Amino acid sequence: MNSIGTDILLAEESPEEAEVTIRALRREDMTPNIFVARDGEQALDFIFCRSKFAARSSDRPPKLILLDLKLPRVNGLEVLKQRKDDPRTRAIPAVILTSSQEEGALVRSYDLGANSYIQKPIDFEQFGRTMRTVGFYWMVINQLPSANQARKSARQGGS
Amino acid sequence: MSATGTRMGEEAGKSVASKPQLHVLLLEGDSADRELILRELAKGEFEITSDVVQTAEEFRQRIRDQPPDVVLSDYNLGQWRGTEALEILREEGLDIPLILVSGALGDVTAVECIKQGVTDYVLKDSLARLSVALRGALKDKKSREERQRAQESLAQKVEELARSNRDLEQFAYVASHDLQEPLRMVAAYTQLLGERYRGKLDDQADKYINYAVDGAERMQSLIHDLLAFSRVGRQETELKNTDCNEVVGAALKDLQAAISESGAVVEREPLPWLKANESQLKQVFQNLLGNALKFRGAQAPVIHISAQRQGADWIFSVADNGIGISTENLESVFIIFNRLHTRTEYPGNGIGLAICKKIIERHGGSIEALPGADGGTILRFALPAGRPADIQESA
Amino acid sequence: MTTILAEILLVEDNPADRDLTIDALAHSHWPSNISAVSDGAEALAFLRREEKYAAATRPNLVLLDLNLPRKDGRAVLADVKSDPALRRIPVVIFSTSQAPLDIERCYELKANSYVSKPSTLRDWMAAVKVVNEFWLGCACLPREEEQ
Repeated sequence: MNSIGTDILLAEESPEEAEVTIRALRREDMTPNIFVARDGEQALDFIFCRSKFAARSSDRPPKLILLDLKLPRVNGLEVLKQRKDDPRTRAIPAVILTSSQEEGALVRSYDLGANSYIQKPIDFEQFGRTMRTVGFYWMVINQLPSANQARKSARQGGS
Repeated sequence: MSATGTRMGEEAGKSVASKPQLHVLLLEGDSADRELILRELAKGEFEITSDVVQTAEEFRQRIRDQPPDVVLSDYNLGQWRGTEALEILREEGLDIPLILVSGALGDVTAVECIKQGVTDYVLKDSLARLSVALRGALKDKKSREERQRAQESLAQKVEELARSNRDLEQFAYVASHDLQEPLRMVAAYTQLLGERYRGKLDDQADKYINYAVDGAERMQSLIHDLLAFSRVGRQETELKNTDCNEVVGAALKDLQAAISESGAVVEREPLPWLKANESQLKQVFQNLLGNALKFRGAQAPVIHISAQRQGADWIFSVADNGIGISTENLESVFIIFNRLHTRTEYPGNGIGLAICKKIIERHGGSIEALPGADGGTILRFALPAGRPADIQESA
Repeated sequence: MTTILAEILLVEDNPADRDLTIDALAHSHWPSNISAVSDGAEALAFLRREEKYAAATRPNLVLLDLNLPRKDGRAVLADVKSDPALRRIPVVIFSTSQAPLDIERCYELKANSYVSKPSTLRDWMAAVKVVNEFWLGCACLPREEEQ
C-alpha cells in the first residue's frame, strides 16, 4: 500500500457505484488511498482503528469520509453520530453521498455534523459528472486537515 | 616589589614576599615525615599553608570545607590507602591533583597508582623532587581548566549562532508569508487591467501593463519559493522508517507528464529503507528528478537512480545525461536563488537545489554535484543509515 | 435540489478580494445573489437579521474570511455553529492562511469546508467557480424553513 498520500474512507454498499466514485477521485497528480467499507460496522472499525483494522495507526485517521446513508449492519447516520461524538474523529470532513430519499435525512445529516450532503443522480452519466465535481472540490480546492490533528485532539480531550 | 598575584605554575622570583600561595592538604601519619615534607615545601617557590588529616572521613570533610590546591598523600595510611583518597576526590567532583609521597613503591604499584589517577609520585628519600612535581601538577590543572573554558565558550557561540539562524528563518517565513496578500492584489489587478484595456489605450500603456504583470508574477514566484525554503527549517523533521523506493515512485508519478513528454527513460536500482521525513525526502527526489528532466540535452533524458552503502551512510545517486554543470559552478548551484542560465533558456527561480541541501542537511547528511561520465550531472547525497534494529521492512 | 437564485453571504474585509470573488461568482455556472459584509460583527448581525438587516434573506452559503476586524472569522464560525438557528448553514472558510493549524482549528469549529485563497488570478477565478459549482450545483443545502 502506498504510504504516501491521502487516506479516504468510502462507505458504499454497491460495488458499481463505489467503482465510479473511486475513478472520479483518482487524478493524475494525486495518489489517494481509498478504502471501501461495505457496511457501517466496517466503516466504524476503519475510522477507529479497531477489530480488523487494529493494526492501522490511529496516528493516520482517514482525511475524508464519503458516506452513503443506506448501509447494512450500521447505517450512515449512526456512523456520523459516532464520528461526531469522538474528539479524535469529529473534525474529519464527512460528505454524505446517498440515493436515500428519506424525509428529513438531509437535515438529520447536517445536524449530526455532516460537512456536506449530495444526492446521487440516478442517471449514470450524471452520477459520474457529479462524482468528478465532488472529487475535484474535496481533494483539490478544499484543504483537508492534516494527519497531526487526530493526535492533538486525542491529547487534548479524547480517550 | 612587583606583585605577581597568585598565579601558579609560573617561575616565581626567589624573593619571599612575592611567592604565590598554595594550600596543601597532607595525608601523612608519621609526624617526622610531615616535618620533612613541610620543610622541603618551604624551600620551594610557593608560599605554603598546610593542613593535615588522618582518616578518610576527616579528609572528605576537609576537602568539602576548604578544598586545597593539591593533596600530598602517603601510599600507606594505616587503615586506608592514598589511592582511596583519589576515589573520594572523584566522588566529591573535585579536580585536585594528588601527589603520592611515599617510601619505595615498586614499579608495578607505581604504574598502577598513576593509572588510577595519581598525578605524580615522589619518594621520601628524594623529596627535592617535590617542587618540580608540584609545579607540573598545577600546570596540568591549569591547562585542563583553560580547555574547559574554551569548550564552554564554543558551545555558547554555537547556541547563539543557532538562535540567530532560527530568528532569520522566522523572519524569512513571516516576511514572505505577509507579503503574499498585497502581492496577490497587485498581480491580480494588473492582470485584470491588462485584460480590460489591452489594445484600447496606446502601445506604451500595453507595454507598461505587461511589465507590471510580469514583475508581479515574478515576485509571487520568488515569495512562493522563499516560503517553501523557509518552511523546511520550521517543520519538525520527524524521522520515520521510510521505504525510499516508494518515495521515488511517488515523485516519479508526480512528474509523469514531464517524463512522457520528454520521452525520458528512468532506470531504478533498489533503494534501502531508512529513517527519514517522507514528504521532505519526496521533495528532494522531485527536485533532483525535475532538474534532470528540465536541463536535458538534445537527446531524450536518461536518468539513473541508485544507492550504495558506505560506512554508516547510504549514498544516493541521481545521474542524468543532460547539459551538465561546469566545474566552477558545482558548488554554487546549491545557493538559494542562484541561477546558471537566463529565464528564457530555463524557467525557475533557482531554489530547488537549495531546498534539497537544506532538507538533506537537516537529516544529518550531505549533498554534492559532480560531472557525469559523458557530460550530464550526478547529484549525490548521503543519509545516515541508522541502526538495523531501528529499521524494519514491513510486509 | 437548490433554490433558483441562491443567496450567498460573503464576509471579506479586503475590498479588492471582495470584488474579485463577486466577479468570479457572477461568471459562474449557478447564479446567485451576493450580500457582502466587511467585518465579523456585521456578519453575525446579518445572519441574525438584527436592526438594519431585519429584512435580510437567510443565506444558503457563507464564504468566510478568517482575519476580520471587530470580530475574528474563527469567532464568527464558532458563534454560527453553536447557534441552533444558524448552524445548518454551510460555512466555507475562504482565507489566505494555509497553516495546518488554522485548517484544523476551523474543522474543529465545525467549518464545512476550508479553501485557501489562490495566489494567481486564474486560480482564484477557477477556485471560486468550483466552490459555486459544488455548493450550489452539486450539494443539497437545508432550506430555510428547516433551519
